[in-house]
Amino acid sequence: MLGKGGKRKFDEHEDGLEGKVVSPTDGPSKVSYTLQRQTIFNISLMKLYNHRPLTEPSLQKTVLINNMLRRIQEELKQEGSLRPMFVAASQPADPLSDNFREAQPAFSHLAPPPLLPADLVSTMPLESCLTPASLLEDDTFCTSPAVQHDGPTKPPPPALAAVKDSFSSALDEIEELCPAPTSAEAAAADAAAGDSKAQPGESDIHKAEGLPESRTAEPKLMDPLPGNFEITASTGFLTDLTLDDILFADIDTSMYDFDPCTSATGAASKMAPVSADELLKTLAPYSSQPVTPNQPFKMDLTELDHIMEVLVGS
Amino acid sequence: FAGAGGGNDIQWCFSQVKGAVDDDVAEADIISTVEFNHSGELLATGDKGGRVVIFQQEQENKTQSHSRGEYNVYSTFQSHEPEFDYLKSLEIEEKINKIRWLPQKNAAQFLLSTNDKTIKLWKISERDKRPEGYNLKEEDGRYRDPTTVTTLRVPVFRPMDLMVEASPRRIFANAHTYHINSISINSDYETYLSADDLRINLWHLEITDRSFNIVDIKPANMEELTEVITAAEFHPNSCSTFVYSSSKGTIRLCDMRASALCDRHSKLFEEPEDPSNRSFFSEIISSISDVKFSHSGRYMMTRDYLSVKIWDLNMENRPVETYQVHEYLRSKLCSLYENDCIFDKFECCWNGSDRQVELSSLIVMTGSYNNFFRMFDRNSKRDVTLEASRENNKPRTVLKPRKVCASGKRKKDEISVDSLDFNKKILHTAWHPKENIIAVATTNNLYIFQDKMN
Repeated sequence: MLGKGGKRKFDEHEDGLEGKVVSPTDGPSKVSYTLQRQTIFNISLMKLYNHRPLTEPSLQKTVLINNMLRRIQEELKQEGSLRPMFVAASQPADPLSDNFREAQPAFSHLAPPPLLPADLVSTMPLESCLTPASLLEDDTFCTSPAVQHDGPTKPPPPALAAVKDSFSSALDEIEELCPAPTSAEAAAADAAAGDSKAQPGESDIHKAEGLPESRTAEPKLMDPLPGNFEITASTGFLTDLTLDDILFADIDTSMYDFDPCTSATGAASKMAPVSADELLKTLAPYSSQPVTPNQPFKMDLTELDHIMEVLVGS
Repeated sequence: FAGAGGGNDIQWCFSQVKGAVDDDVAEADIISTVEFNHSGELLATGDKGGRVVIFQQEQENKTQSHSRGEYNVYSTFQSHEPEFDYLKSLEIEEKINKIRWLPQKNAAQFLLSTNDKTIKLWKISERDKRPEGYNLKEEDGRYRDPTTVTTLRVPVFRPMDLMVEASPRRIFANAHTYHINSISINSDYETYLSADDLRINLWHLEITDRSFNIVDIKPANMEELTEVITAAEFHPNSCSTFVYSSSKGTIRLCDMRASALCDRHSKLFEEPEDPSNRSFFSEIISSISDVKFSHSGRYMMTRDYLSVKIWDLNMENRPVETYQVHEYLRSKLCSLYENDCIFDKFECCWNGSDRQVELSSLIVMTGSYNNFFRMFDRNSKRDVTLEASRENNKPRTVLKPRKVCASGKRKKDEISVDSLDFNKKILHTAWHPKENIIAVATTNNLYIFQDKMN
């Protein structure tokens, strides 16, 4: 962990988030690429929704962050992520969502299928969506059955839920790297977490895409932040945090041993270059812990606390 | 950019530093723009508090031939005030985004200064005489009792202490929905353009109640917005030509004679992406933060997050040269994204117009972090990193080149990437149009460096 006063020495062997460019086709480093992508996704969401400026936010910055989020979503869509809620559904009745109920997603490090727009996925033969058996032997990725979801009928929940979900899904992915106890347990964990995950993700992607709720007034995209009455629902996520999720009995306090995001306010910018790396490192320890079906929720909670810390701190 | 090669490298020496000494930076003092006027005699800075400070160069002292005149405060005025947009419940910052000088036509000086929404034309004039000897008024201005007036006299002008007055002559308002990032005066000296994130407007300097929209990239559906305008500039010689850069790393050259709305470019400058450097941040670091024409107008320079590119206007598919400003940051992009540094808008500038004889005599200057700034000399094919710091402030001592160690063993006097202070950024620099004098703005200080004269 990082001592607050210590000068950080440059570690030549350090990789992680800041390492060499990882492409999605590298087999073993697909995990770090996924983590990288997930972290950037989370950071992007936090940037869009965490900021409470008195003046108008920079349109350029907002557009660039939105583009980042869209790109990651596109990638996830093409990869056929295990977490279909992160797939952007442009309209409620998306043929893509039907597919994910049935098919096993294809991994991009296999012979990648040609790039398909979302509407064509429904015509893709089911076999190419199935994970080849050979891969099941080699790969440690758990092929849990697709998460059930009914389509985005719930009202748009707060953005923080998406952040929480991103972290918990990232954690889930890391879980899968470890030998899962049984696929049934993993499925149970997924299903239980799935209900709360399924709805928020899609609708929040809508939000991340620039507030499609209001299609009339123009300054929506340039103002996805407080001051625009359209989005007070989503920025009310801080109040939603008082939800019962936090009131879990058992909280893993190991998260409080370090504080990677002190630089969120920019106060100690010398520490800033390490913060994203540290963020990644916070996810790393979980892979070495034995995973039980109850553990994911514990970890979700501590991540949530951690995010709270970051948000309140900034 | 290998070393070796003749050519007289400029040896930069500290000359002056302006601004508060303490480390505690008042937000309003943060310098947001720096600009020399056309003769170089005046140097203007704008700050976050909406103030403009103009420095004037002393007349050269004949006895002190080894140094050029010092810059001293000439005029200070509040250009913009904070405003409140009641419709959106948001403040409009008074921060001065850009200052552009008009060429001098008479005794007074004129400059355009702009914040996010409003452009103002300021007249700066000197008053060194005043009329004295009124018949009906006392010297202090009080009116005399007419019955005490027994003789008549003609008032005469008498010298007084120099007073520099700044007065707003034109206010160009209500033409920009988005934040103004650039203003550029046309070579006809009658019109100028102002650019915000999505639109560019053309103004006449005399007319404030209307402007012409010449570029509009706002999509019908704002959710489809993926690209914004980041900078714009008129061509130095051709009064119908201008360029604008985008957040996707493209530059478009437009000709106003082609159509009223220049939505279709005449030329599109874009360099294909290097696949080996691809990352999540490729788009963000390709966003162009500044564009500047060379004096001749044959070349233009663009600044993106990690590099400076020189383009030949006759070649659209790639720049003629690319200079890496701080390539060691490429592996730190995620952290820089997280702390927002990746969105910093660095400016760039050419060496003085008088000295730009040909392509080989071009020198490029741009800023970096840790109060470092970089110079790229096409003539000597050398680049150098210098530091603006009060520790180096012995006049006529040549600045020592700095070096950042990206990885591996750090040599003596090198600075490792992790020790860089990302709060100390040099975003704004300016080069005297005629002499080798440069102005470099750190967060709240203005440094002036001069060529070491023999």
